[in-house]
Amino acid sequence: MAQRQNKRLGIYVHVPFCRHKCSYCDFYSYCPRDTRVYTAYVDALLSHMKSYKTVGADYMPDTVYIGGGTPTVLPPEELLRLIRGIKSSFRLSKNVEFSMECNPATAGYEELRRYRRAGVNRLSIGLQSVNAIELSALGRIHSARDFGVCFREARRAGFDNINVDLMFGIPYQTLDSWAATLKFAVSRSPEHISLYDLKLEPGTPLCDNASAYVFPDEDAEYAMYTFAIEFLERAGYRQYEISNFARQGKECRHNLKYWHCEEYLGFGPSAHSYFTDVRFSFKPSVSNYIKCIGGRTKDEMTDEYEEIPMRERLGEYIMLRMRLTEGIDSREFMRTFGKDFGMTYGSKLKKYIDGGYIVGSGGSYRFTPAGMFVSNYILSDILEFDADGHFAM
Amino acid sequence: MTERQKKIRNFSIIAHIDHGKSTLADRLIEATHSVESREMEDQILDDMDLERERGITIKARAVRLAYKAADGEEYTLNLIDTPGHVDFNYEVSRSLCACEGALLVVDATQGIEAQTLANAYLAVDADLELVPVVNKIDLPSADVGRVREEIEDVIGIPAEGCPAVSAKTGQNIGDVLDAIVNDIPAPKGDENAPLSCLIFDSYYNSYLGVVVYVRVMDGTLRAGERIKMMSNGMEFDVVEVGYMHPLGLRRTDFIAAGDVGYITASIKNVSDTKIGDTVTHAEGGAESPLPGFKEALPMVFAGIYPADGAKYNDLRDALEKLRLNDAALSFAPETSVALGFGFRCGFLGLLHMEVIEERLEREFNLDLITTAPSVIYEVDLRGGERVRVDNPSNYPPPDEIERAYEPMVSASIITPTDYIGGIMELCTDRRGIFHDMKYIDTQRVELHYTLPLNEIIYDFFDALKSRSRGYASLDYEPAGYVESKLCKLDFLLNGDIVDALTFIVHEDKAYGRARKIALRLKDNIPRQLFEIPIQAAVGSRIIARETVKALRKDVLAKCYGGDITRKKKLLEKQKEGKKKMRKLGTVEVSPEAFMAVLRLDDES
Repeated sequence: MAQRQNKRLGIYVHVPFCRHKCSYCDFYSYCPRDTRVYTAYVDALLSHMKSYKTVGADYMPDTVYIGGGTPTVLPPEELLRLIRGIKSSFRLSKNVEFSMECNPATAGYEELRRYRRAGVNRLSIGLQSVNAIELSALGRIHSARDFGVCFREARRAGFDNINVDLMFGIPYQTLDSWAATLKFAVSRSPEHISLYDLKLEPGTPLCDNASAYVFPDEDAEYAMYTFAIEFLERAGYRQYEISNFARQGKECRHNLKYWHCEEYLGFGPSAHSYFTDVRFSFKPSVSNYIKCIGGRTKDEMTDEYEEIPMRERLGEYIMLRMRLTEGIDSREFMRTFGKDFGMTYGSKLKKYIDGGYIVGSGGSYRFTPAGMFVSNYILSDILEFDADGHFAM
Repeated sequence: MTERQKKIRNFSIIAHIDHGKSTLADRLIEATHSVESREMEDQILDDMDLERERGITIKARAVRLAYKAADGEEYTLNLIDTPGHVDFNYEVSRSLCACEGALLVVDATQGIEAQTLANAYLAVDADLELVPVVNKIDLPSADVGRVREEIEDVIGIPAEGCPAVSAKTGQNIGDVLDAIVNDIPAPKGDENAPLSCLIFDSYYNSYLGVVVYVRVMDGTLRAGERIKMMSNGMEFDVVEVGYMHPLGLRRTDFIAAGDVGYITASIKNVSDTKIGDTVTHAEGGAESPLPGFKEALPMVFAGIYPADGAKYNDLRDALEKLRLNDAALSFAPETSVALGFGFRCGFLGLLHMEVIEERLEREFNLDLITTAPSVIYEVDLRGGERVRVDNPSNYPPPDEIERAYEPMVSASIITPTDYIGGIMELCTDRRGIFHDMKYIDTQRVELHYTLPLNEIIYDFFDALKSRSRGYASLDYEPAGYVESKLCKLDFLLNGDIVDALTFIVHEDKAYGRARKIALRLKDNIPRQLFEIPIQAAVGSRIIARETVKALRKDVLAKCYGGDITRKKKLLEKQKEGKKKMRKLGTVEVSPEAFMAVLRLDDES
């Protein structure tokens, strides 16, 4: 028998249910009318995970992330069954980071305590804004007060690693109201803060009715972004990724796997995986997922499937590493790809370095805050694609 | 007059656009059983797709119809279809010279329009017998009596009892055929005199070479004989002569005085067979050509560039193919700093330009960038030399100019009286000189103006239509050059002149045009990493200024649940868009944005 390896792995579990769909959200989630689907769905997830018993034997997952949707919309019994199922399906590392998303007013102290005891050790709470008008434009069903209660009870339930999600670029938002939201979040002293710039996605109610709202313009959003970076820095939160800020040592290890091109397995409809050099995802349909898992016809639930050859990996590496404030380390780049990053991309980078969008010093290349906020523009200029839409070297 | 000639009627149909000319032609073909009904298509004479779609006739066509009249005799009716647009007035006049009569089609709901009048005058000038035909009597708002009166009052020809038809339903079409036989004179001409044939159309066919459509005025022509084009002296051996059946060419032994027919003679270029030219025998031919020949001169010029620079050769091939059939199209290579390699093309007018652009895009599958249309300016230089400028960016600097001249047109506008105010205001705004206003009836007037051509080609049609709710109609003809205070208006992006955006404008119009274009540039240039100043300049004087603010935000904040593929696709799409961008100096602009800046279709 071969020596058992302990390769690192991230586990993502998607819970595509919500109590109410937010007006900006285009992720796969819905509000089920028949709640019996919860049990069937958790059954399918657990059965799906068990099928990785052989392949997964060499892995020791060190991060777990239950996201959504709103995981806490599941009845506590089902959610607990899911948490325990994850633990029994994989050999989780001792110091596993076990995150779960939660919306205010969907879980009370009792439930939170049970989830904590079952093994969840990091909570991510969606606050978005403290301004009632902004929350209502987003179609959020909670208030800032609800968040306060949720946060306090999470602490009481033993969560010592909590993230707060915030949004900017919301209709009617001003720099002042954004500052108030930031101040409120920081006053609760979470370990981690994420701030997402609202993006209008076609097909969402907010996008379809966009003309009915007044959005902050590009310059105002840029001002909000740079304000937040400075404000959070002063409050002890270091930016480590375009949208993520954390106290020292509290960076989200699971999300870092995405940016570090490490392996992760996703479970549930619309979940994405990067495993054994393949990126794949499952079709966004709960019923199809349940049917395929039950009928052992897993091929029919695969949505995207793409093997990632070396040239593709190089492009991904640049695209993903540049999201991080640490940027690209020339020595590591050389070790991984046998190429000198500065030599290969120097001529293209020069104008961005001169323009103050990229800093190139000490053997590393990284975006300035201004560069991060236009990173798509710069990356789409630097990176090359072949005719099939793959990264070209 | 020979017995043969007595049975021939040569006629054309003239009408304002949309008054039903092509539909009437279809009905005449049908009523004479010249084409089996199963072979019949709508607008059978308009065989370019573009013509069918737009319901206009771009090139003149001709067909021969056989009609057995009430007197029991069989007549040969030669119908020469004419283009119904002001750009092609010269072609219309030559077609009319090939006929003895014309059907003047007037819409029973609309009455006389600008082109009805312009074409009627052309027909009267050509000594044609005019047969009025009131069309669209099937429409509820038809007023046959009023329109007949209008024809009598305005054009001065009897119209009482003239055919009143519905070309759509075929109602009373027989009346038209009888009127053609009874009212239009048979052709004259001596079959034994020296040959003279009037060219009224020609087109290139890849098997036959150029097919020349002619009206034989005098003499007889047979296959094998040697002919000469009188304008340029070029000689050819005739391969075939014949007539035009609605479904194709039919060869005959000869064509003779009074006939409308075709000649093929292994001719390679349509430009050797100029419309209006006279064909005669190389030996013993006519002494002098038929009167009225003119070279078709382009009036409107624009730069045409491939959106993808690599397609330059494709564009050249396509233009060469189009020129085979269109002697009025001219083109010469030119280079623009902004747009790369392309062609300066000359057109008869705006419609001609649009037609060529559309054919290039459709038939040759090319994406084009076209600069704003311009006219030819004439400039007296200080040194005494006179130059002609067809590309605004070649306009000489002010200190070298002694005098500048711009082409004028004499325009006739017919409009319902309700819109007179708005239209007069428009014409004044476009530097028009008012001549007179005539009442056509109590509700409509005809206005006469002299207008600079460069004002007409700058969204004048659309402005006219929008000020008259589509009711006003326009016709114009060249009216020479006049001295004018012109200036060259340049646009600078980030400090660099964009040559493709240079306009020549009248001094009084420079500010307005500068502000309008600068604003459009601002609205259409995507934000880039640096701020882009837009300036409009006359010489070194900046007269308008806008700024495209720097790009601040272009980021995907969230990569949810490790969906890396989505981000990759987004970047790829963005990259693709970037590749299509044209560099205007240091500024990247998409072809769509460039065209949006130059679009002439609004008055804002």
